[in-house]
Amino acid sequence: MNQMTDLRKTDNRPMLRVSDLTHRVSLETDTLTILQGVSLEINRGESVAIVGRSGSGKTTLLGLLAGLDTPSEGTVELDGSVISTLSEDERAKLRARRVGFVFQSFQLLPALSALENVMLPLELAGMESPQQRARELLERVGLGERLNHTPRQLSGGEQQRVAIARAFASDPVVMFADEPTGNLDNRTGQAVSDLLMELNREQGTTLVMVTHDEHLAARCGRQLHIEAGLLTEPETAGEPEI
Amino acid sequence: MAASGKLMSVTRDWRERDVRVVLVALVIAVATVATIALFAGQLQRTLVSSASSFLAADRQLEAENGLPIPPEWLDEAEARGLETGQMVEFSTMVFGEGGFQLVSVKAVSDEYPLRGDIETQSGNQAPRDTVDRGPGPGEVWVNPRLLRLLELNIGDTLEVGNLELDITRLLIREPDGGFRLSSLAPRVMMHVDDVAGTGVVQEGSRVEYVYLFAGAEPMLEDYYHWLQPQLAPSHEWEGVQDGETFSRSLQRAERFLLLGGSLAVLLAAVAVAVASRQYALSQRDTVALLKTLGLSSRGIGGLYLRRLSLWGVVGILGGLAVALPLFWLLVSLLSDVLERPVDLYLDPAAVMPALLTAVVSLFAFAYPPIRRLRSVPAMRVLRAQPGESGREVIPDMVLAVLAVFGLVWMYAGEFTLVVALLGGLALLLVVLAMLGWGMVAVLRRVQGGGNAWRLALVGLYRHRRSSMAQMAVFAMTLMLAATLVLVRSSLLDDWQAQLPENAPNHFLINIAPDAVDDVEGFWHRQGAPLEALYPMVRGRLTELNGEPVKEVVSKDERIGALNRELNLTWMGSLPEDNQIVSGQWFGQGQTEGVSVEAELAAKLGLKLGDRLTFTIGASRVTEPVTSIRTVQWDSMKPNFYMAFPPGGGLADMPATWITSFFLGPDQKLALNDFSRAFPTVSVLEIDHIIDRIQQIVRQVTQAIEAILALILAAALVVMAAVVSATLRDRQREGALLRTLGGRQSLLVRSTMLEFALLGFVAGALGVVAAEGAVYALQAGMFEGEFRWHWQVVLPVPVIAGVLLAILGRWQLQPVLSVSPMLLLRRLE
Repeated sequence: MNQMTDLRKTDNRPMLRVSDLTHRVSLETDTLTILQGVSLEINRGESVAIVGRSGSGKTTLLGLLAGLDTPSEGTVELDGSVISTLSEDERAKLRARRVGFVFQSFQLLPALSALENVMLPLELAGMESPQQRARELLERVGLGERLNHTPRQLSGGEQQRVAIARAFASDPVVMFADEPTGNLDNRTGQAVSDLLMELNREQGTTLVMVTHDEHLAARCGRQLHIEAGLLTEPETAGEPEI
Repeated sequence: MAASGKLMSVTRDWRERDVRVVLVALVIAVATVATIALFAGQLQRTLVSSASSFLAADRQLEAENGLPIPPEWLDEAEARGLETGQMVEFSTMVFGEGGFQLVSVKAVSDEYPLRGDIETQSGNQAPRDTVDRGPGPGEVWVNPRLLRLLELNIGDTLEVGNLELDITRLLIREPDGGFRLSSLAPRVMMHVDDVAGTGVVQEGSRVEYVYLFAGAEPMLEDYYHWLQPQLAPSHEWEGVQDGETFSRSLQRAERFLLLGGSLAVLLAAVAVAVASRQYALSQRDTVALLKTLGLSSRGIGGLYLRRLSLWGVVGILGGLAVALPLFWLLVSLLSDVLERPVDLYLDPAAVMPALLTAVVSLFAFAYPPIRRLRSVPAMRVLRAQPGESGREVIPDMVLAVLAVFGLVWMYAGEFTLVVALLGGLALLLVVLAMLGWGMVAVLRRVQGGGNAWRLALVGLYRHRRSSMAQMAVFAMTLMLAATLVLVRSSLLDDWQAQLPENAPNHFLINIAPDAVDDVEGFWHRQGAPLEALYPMVRGRLTELNGEPVKEVVSKDERIGALNRELNLTWMGSLPEDNQIVSGQWFGQGQTEGVSVEAELAAKLGLKLGDRLTFTIGASRVTEPVTSIRTVQWDSMKPNFYMAFPPGGGLADMPATWITSFFLGPDQKLALNDFSRAFPTVSVLEIDHIIDRIQQIVRQVTQAIEAILALILAAALVVMAAVVSATLRDRQREGALLRTLGGRQSLLVRSTMLEFALLGFVAGALGVVAAEGAVYALQAGMFEGEFRWHWQVVLPVPVIAGVLLAILGRWQLQPVLSVSPMLLLRRLE
């Protein structure tokens, strides 16, 4: 746990509280259970990696934690709000103010420049002059010279750095990352994960990351294993490697 | 919201290909519909004003009772802002060096002609020129033939009654050189103020006063409304629409333009629907991301709605920016054809259908798939979600069909047209669905391989959903384009048939029975053989079932045919262009009965068996109506209201004969010899009328061609839009194929083949559906006969195949010119 004295960490309630989460999807012939009775708590400022093989349900869990989807059963409480009972629009509103995302496939809008992509969440949150903040963030991630480039003109690593800048733009309390280095080579991946960790620390954000990269997972304060929809937490969660 | 504002920028949207397609489709839609509507309005006005010149005015008031109309009537017209003019027509003998000749005099006021112009020559060899007013007082203009007959020259004087008038010009053509059998003698034109001085027109003389009126249509209508109660039965109010000859041609041209406009609307709808659906699909990821970033469904809906509105504004402005110069170009083309400047008439109301088309296309075709974006799950950012099922599209389809129906109806206002087009389209879609099912069944068996044909067939199967969708759009587009081509050809053929190159343009009237053979021989030797000869007896219809006809028929019915003597005839066989609508044509040896023209029969309320009494000279003939037939008044052949059987009621009556024939311009001198040899036979020259009609047909044809070109261009853009809808997938596939080692030539050949097959099948279906639609249209709107048009049916599938192969090759271009790696990265 780092020593930042951010106000958001003075609250003692957990950032995320999940109880008895079950998720099923209907297929043409039968029903598939993807998550089964998952319960967990993640504290403010914690960094947590959810590790599992492809198809283990980790991405589904991330989606439910972030309120992108609603569970079949159970509750998800994010920063004091039970998001599993909110309407889609209420969840969207909550995401706009408190949640940031980093995706495996970057998810930048191709028609917008790097600067415009970063400005987008600020504008959605209703910020008056988002350009200054977006510019600062892009400079922070080392892209101060590429503000007006469109995603197509940027390399994969650069695109992910834009995405990270965007994710932190709206000053979120919790950051969700889905295989953030999955589409990058080792070296670029390392640089991007360094950046993500650094910013996370600087901002005092709670980080929830899905990955199958053990090395990346080891950099988080806590690791959760998921297999066939069941969540297990190793007894000995060591100090994070940095 | 600032974010929406930020997201809504046309320049930013323009970077997205699908938006470009939607915008281009909209611009074309607005441009085509607006151009056609503007041009149709212009054409209508121009044609009416061309046709108005046949009256030398917009309306004529004829007084057949030999008395001038009360001067207050003219004062009232002028007070209402109408232009007026006056003519007096009478026959008289004129005298010159070479003797005397019966002429038909037209005395005109200074204002004549209110519409059109007069063609004259200043000497026999001088070039023809047009002037916009008639001879001044003291002058006379004469027909060239009269000059020859009387051995006079320009500058000589001509005695008309008590007055000597100077011959100052040769009269070649009058704008209102109407087709009247009463005007048999050569024409002389003088000023109306000289009429009194000639002393020819006395009380009781046979003279006709004609008054001319011109002005805006509502003013004319109002004036007629005021005038009508005061008119006597001998007064006849005539407008262009009453002139049988042109109204049909005008109506058809107008309908063609309506059809063209409707097709433009349909094509636009198809293009906008295809492109916006594609756009909506491509936006799903963006929407999921925006939702993830916190935008609500309402926010998404609002964002895209505002975006659509913005496109609408851009589409409308862009469309008008294209339409106005195009319209101007078409109008200048029209001026060239008419060989006179045409007043540009820009009716703001004509732009309304274009605006409505843009708005409806956007909201009925583009909005539904885009609205469904609101329900894209945010979870899509993390994982692909199941796509939309076909069921969600059904309400959209219903809305789309209703919208198309409404648009076409608004545009054409013709139920037949809407039903024919939409029926054709529906049939086409049914056939397509069946064909698609069959195609999938057959193609499933084709195995892949290194051969271009197999790859093409496998490609069709693998892309079966998009192949079928593309085929549907191609087939519809081709159907609409082919419909227009077919209707145009049959319209032109029909006009051509109605007035062939050598349509009779001269009438011979008043041929004595014993001169018939000689007259026939004369023209046969001149190489201008006569058409059918008909006997003609002048008589008046006086009684209907024993009652005086004027009492039986109500006074309100102003029936010209009852006011003047009718030309009665007898004939053994029904003329080709006449049709019996009730009763039976005279049988062999039948001598009883009379056949009546259908419209007159309707006005008089005649039915089969009614007994008609005719007064011919001092005799009376009574015959029952045995048949009612339609007459082709615009055939330029002798036509008769009343026909008797040979040896029937007219057998012992004094008859003269009438015929018509074609005389080329280089043969006209023969008329002089003819007049000398047969002085009692009158020649009626209507070649200038025929020329004029052909000129109108030519100008309408030009307009139709221009609009056809416009529609075909629109169709091409629709097809290009559809082809490019799958561009990304195709390019990715092509890049992959190349990466996996596919040879370029194989890729090119199989893609071109695949598209050629698609185009050929779509073309075949489209053109057959077009024939179906044309059949319905022919029956309902254009009154023509249906036949297969092999010259269109056969080439269309081939052309469509070639065209699509080229489009396919074009969309493959980036795959061939760039390294596969670069391309795959770009397509990420």
